[in-house]
Amino acid sequence: MARPTGASKPTPDTAARRRRRKRLRATALVLATQVAILIAFLAFWDHMTSRNSAAAFMFGSPSAIGGFLLQMARDGSLWRDLYVTGSETLLGFFVGNLVGTVIGLSLWYSRFVSRVVEPFVIAIGSIPIIALAPIIIIWFGTGLISKVAMSTLSVVIVALVTSYKGALGVDPDQINLMRTLGASKFQIFRKLVVPASLTDIFAGLKLTVGFALIGAIVGEFMSSSEGLGHAIFKAGSLYVIPKVFAALVATIALALILTFIVGKIERLLMPWRRL
Amino acid sequence: MTEVGSGHKAGAANAVAGGAVVPPLVVEHVSKGYEVNGEIVPVIGDLSLTLREGEIISIVGPSGCGKTTLLNTLCGLLSPDSGRIRWHGREVTGQPQNVGYMLQKDLLLPWRTALGNAMLGLEIRGVAAAEAEDRSRAMLDQLGLHGFADHYPSTLSGGMRQRVALARTLVHEPDVLLLDEPFAALDFQSKLLIENDTASLVRQGRRSLLLITHDIEEAVSLADRVIVLSKRPTRIKAVYDIALGAERTDMIGLRQSPEFSHYVRRIWADLDVVLQ
Ligand SMILES: Nc1ncnc2c1ncn2[C@@H]1O[C@H](COP(=O)(O)OP(=O)(O)OP(=O)(O)O)[C@@H](O)[C@H]1O
Ligand SMILES: [Mg+2]
Repeated sequence: MARPTGASKPTPDTAARRRRRKRLRATALVLATQVAILIAFLAFWDHMTSRNSAAAFMFGSPSAIGGFLLQMARDGSLWRDLYVTGSETLLGFFVGNLVGTVIGLSLWYSRFVSRVVEPFVIAIGSIPIIALAPIIIIWFGTGLISKVAMSTLSVVIVALVTSYKGALGVDPDQINLMRTLGASKFQIFRKLVVPASLTDIFAGLKLTVGFALIGAIVGEFMSSSEGLGHAIFKAGSLYVIPKVFAALVATIALALILTFIVGKIERLLMPWRRL
Repeated sequence: MTEVGSGHKAGAANAVAGGAVVPPLVVEHVSKGYEVNGEIVPVIGDLSLTLREGEIISIVGPSGCGKTTLLNTLCGLLSPDSGRIRWHGREVTGQPQNVGYMLQKDLLLPWRTALGNAMLGLEIRGVAAAEAEDRSRAMLDQLGLHGFADHYPSTLSGGMRQRVALARTLVHEPDVLLLDEPFAALDFQSKLLIENDTASLVRQGRRSLLLITHDIEEAVSLADRVIVLSKRPTRIKAVYDIALGAERTDMIGLRQSPEFSHYVRRIWADLDVVLQ
């Protein structure tokens, strides 16, 4: 073996381009298949409900759902609901993950504290948040704060557990190495434990997008005058099933957008994983 | 000790009253056991050794005899059950200063580039960023990694990663190196090259090296002394002064010499490996 000298970069430009094109084609194939499945599903749905009014009433139909979406977009309620639920979700997501992650990571610091706290975390984590909703509305009113609280609560334990798991998963040999280099506990935490936990933290972030949204919508179900949860609840109680589905479509879109943004941030923060 | 040992007195900064040199590491009657299911399992029996300035000692012993335990005890990651460990004449609590420690796993941080990994120790010690970077770059260059400073570990070969780990170990100029099978995972060629580089950097800088290895040929080719450990609870079973000279440039030729094979055979015999 020759000793490594100089960067080995001279990959021919064409080869790199060919590889990129190959990767693009693979992505396009995945996307095309997904779209095809979606279209087939919608076509089947539309076909089954187009000549059967009872079925159309029970299951809605893609065209009716589209119609409602268009109408909601035009009268502005779609944007307002998206904005309301979106901000509740984002706030809950942010606060819940911040608090959960900070606590989860700092539990690494003290075996004593983490052992004391563990049963409490499990106990709190096992409470179905929907059971808390009435109390939260009594405490925080029917406005934004109560939904953010619901959303935060459904996120915080998951964030805490995933980040703590991440911190505990750090290779003990790596910690020993840091110690032999003379690192203090805080230096080990900052230079090793926190970055090493990022993978788990982001797994938690992706998971909790959905939880934050569920929290906000459950909150809106309980009592609200706006938001996607409110729209679903109202349409449901009036038996306007296509409108329920229309609001659900908007909810799914919101979840997808938020997940996409988290993924982007992940790639930005962890450039070494792109290689 | 022969030529190597006697030549060092002049360069000693550690001379104490009486003119004697304080060895960088003295181990006296150290023992260590682990608690397993409420019982103490003795791992290190009663072990004493002295690492002199500028000396390279290889330690070989059967698998599981406690070599890693010994190394971790020496550098303060574990505390001995009894006995004394003196670094430059003093017993230290916690980690000794100026000791470089390296394992078979390179333990590079994946989110840091080669340069960032090499700089880790200097950064922890609070060396100014610009100086830390210059020194780390120079060390990487010296180890044949010129041009790879900005590569992430995931894009480097195993041999290159181990070189980065070696750079991280050497860059803050420790006067004692404790290496635990650092080259065991490498192919033969990379291994010879990196062994050679390590030995010459150690000799150049008048550092001392304690090298744990399973590779008897590696042990003999690098060391001034080879210590053979017994099975658990481990003690020193035999010590060999390796009289192959301190300037060993032709590693391949060295390995073919009759003296070399003689040492290897005797150490093999000591290790008592039963082949079925
Ligand atoms: N944390 C621990 N708790 C209990 N027993 C341990 C622990 N670490 C090591 N041991 C035991 O101590 C003995 C010595 O382990 P050690 O890792 O020091 O051996 P070694 O000589 O380095 O082995 P190898 O050559 O395979 O690397 C082994 O029998 C091992 O099972
Ligand atoms: Mg070992």
